[in-house]
Amino acid sequence: MSDRDLRLLRCFASVFPELAAEDLRTVTNESAGHWDSLSTVTLAALVQEEFNVEIEPDTVQQLTSFEAFRTYLQKVDSDRSGSR
Amino acid sequence: MKLIEALEVTRQAASAPSGKAVFLACGFTPLHLSTFLSAELLLRNPIRRPDVRSGLFGDLVGTLERFEPRGVDALVVMIEWSDIDPRLAGRSLGGWRVPQMHGIITSAHDSIARLRRAISKASAHVPTVVCTPSLPLPPMFTAPQTEASLSEAELRLAVAAFAEQLVREPGLRVVNSQWLDDASPLAGRYDVKSDLFSGFPFTLHHASVLGKTLASLVDPPARKKGLITDLDDTLWSGILGDDGIDGISWDLEHKTQMHGLYQQVLASLATSGVLIGVASKNDPATVKSAFQQRKLLVTENDIFPFEVHWSPKSDSVARILQAWNVASDSVVFIDDSPLEVAEVHAAFPDMECIVFPTGDYRGIWDLLLHLRQLFGKSVVTEEDALRAGSIRQSQSWRELEKASGDRADTFLKSAEARITFRCSKSAADQRAFELLNKTNQFNLNGKRFSESEWKRLFDDPKVFLLTASYEDKFGPLGKVAVIIGRIVERQVHVNSWVMSCRAFSRRIEFQCLQYLFDIFKAEEIVFDYEMTPRNTPVREFFATLLSGQPVSGSRLTLHDFSTRVPQLFHLVEEEVHV
Repeated sequence: MSDRDLRLLRCFASVFPELAAEDLRTVTNESAGHWDSLSTVTLAALVQEEFNVEIEPDTVQQLTSFEAFRTYLQKVDSDRSGSR
Repeated sequence: MKLIEALEVTRQAASAPSGKAVFLACGFTPLHLSTFLSAELLLRNPIRRPDVRSGLFGDLVGTLERFEPRGVDALVVMIEWSDIDPRLAGRSLGGWRVPQMHGIITSAHDSIARLRRAISKASAHVPTVVCTPSLPLPPMFTAPQTEASLSEAELRLAVAAFAEQLVREPGLRVVNSQWLDDASPLAGRYDVKSDLFSGFPFTLHHASVLGKTLASLVDPPARKKGLITDLDDTLWSGILGDDGIDGISWDLEHKTQMHGLYQQVLASLATSGVLIGVASKNDPATVKSAFQQRKLLVTENDIFPFEVHWSPKSDSVARILQAWNVASDSVVFIDDSPLEVAEVHAAFPDMECIVFPTGDYRGIWDLLLHLRQLFGKSVVTEEDALRAGSIRQSQSWRELEKASGDRADTFLKSAEARITFRCSKSAADQRAFELLNKTNQFNLNGKRFSESEWKRLFDDPKVFLLTASYEDKFGPLGKVAVIIGRIVERQVHVNSWVMSCRAFSRRIEFQCLQYLFDIFKAEEIVFDYEMTPRNTPVREFFATLLSGQPVSGSRLTLHDFSTRVPQLFHLVEEEVHV
């Protein structure tokens, strides 16, 4: 697991402390009963702080799973590498 | 603190028993501020999980007007410009036209008046912390950003006046805007995107600073009680033994003003009740002359005791602690010599020992700020100004008492003692609250009160608060005894009773009971006694009055008291009757 994934998992674990580590990787806003609008805002704030990114409000609405966040961060990394 | 750290702190305490119930009143979505506040409260009290609740979005004034203090231990009010008028923030499109400014200011005054009424009402029942607007005002004024406009000045004046009124309210703490400016620069506070899309207006950094600041006012750290200072190159610049009395300095002329500022802070601390002692390796006669001949900003009267000799500093510190009767962890030691600081710290590991940064202007300035934080006190009472004098007086008393041998009655009679009793039903007596929460030795049962318990105590009409202030020919000791009790027909139930150790040996405790029997025409007094590891003086006192050792619910009849009370010589005065 990459360092980025580990840091993302830590963010998710903070918001969904009731979920086991293996479940965090597959969590979605439909699978987790506690994933509400507050969770989305908190996750977005955590990820922005942890990865030093600015997530646009429209994008936040699409980040509805661990995988979606992971893909988003991969893209940010790749955009950053491309712009160097 | 980062948000993820705050969430982890709160997660780790998820199974801890619930602790302080804190109501966070704000007009915005509390979101991360609530998380940071919870985490910071937990760091202060890791055993109890705080229960942070909040009110309705967008209606701070209404939330406060509807606030029900029952079950709430602390109220935190976070005011922003949008609560004063929605047009003063980014979420409203109510208009910033020039003709509208007058209406905005009028409406701001109305909101502030409502806020003040609601906060005053709530703070009468529950400890309250208030933060006035912390965000920058929006770009609504016609003057360039660099220039203050009249409307902006009027708004800021209204908020400043509001803060000044709040600071005057007992039991209410207001966040110091200068502290906030230092910890969280204005330009980095507002998160416009977060405000518009989630209703949370703060950057995470600002929310973190606010959480920490608010928690420190909800649950203030224990204040240090005493400061022990060195003299040479610390209280003044120069070595007294080498440079002579005229060779030491603390002024602009000698470029030694920083020592003058240090003296000025110590003098200010002394008048706010902080004990100041001196531990110096010097010739005592020369030090005495220096204090008498040179006009130091901190005087001999501000300092007690002086430990001036050539013994190790740790010995001096031990003697000072004994004279003050305080624990080493509530004292700060300051000396310019790292070696002396290390020696004292080795002897007293829990004492904060600081090397005085002689010659380092910024370092000394920061030290002065640090001392303000360590010894900070919201309210200075009359007794605070008396503290050093009363400790010095107690020492004189002990010496004379010892010299009088078995002629105690003669000695007590000659003391010309006067006790002033004040009986009330008010939680406004800050000194009484302090004494109850810090006295260990003469303490009936060791019970401590939270601010909210204290405020609610007097909701019961049968509860009374009796305080005793003492003065004799040696000087005043101030308020030295506090009793909380209830009257049930001809019986007085004493629930709490403390007396300062400085007031021992004066038979004040007997006079307190005499007074209770007299004013309540009581036939019996019942005591909620509990043995604690440190309340031996109470146990010994009761042994002189009761037939056996005290127990919970011990009773003392008027008859037994009258036959066992020693002769009392105090002149008794009273201020208020229940």
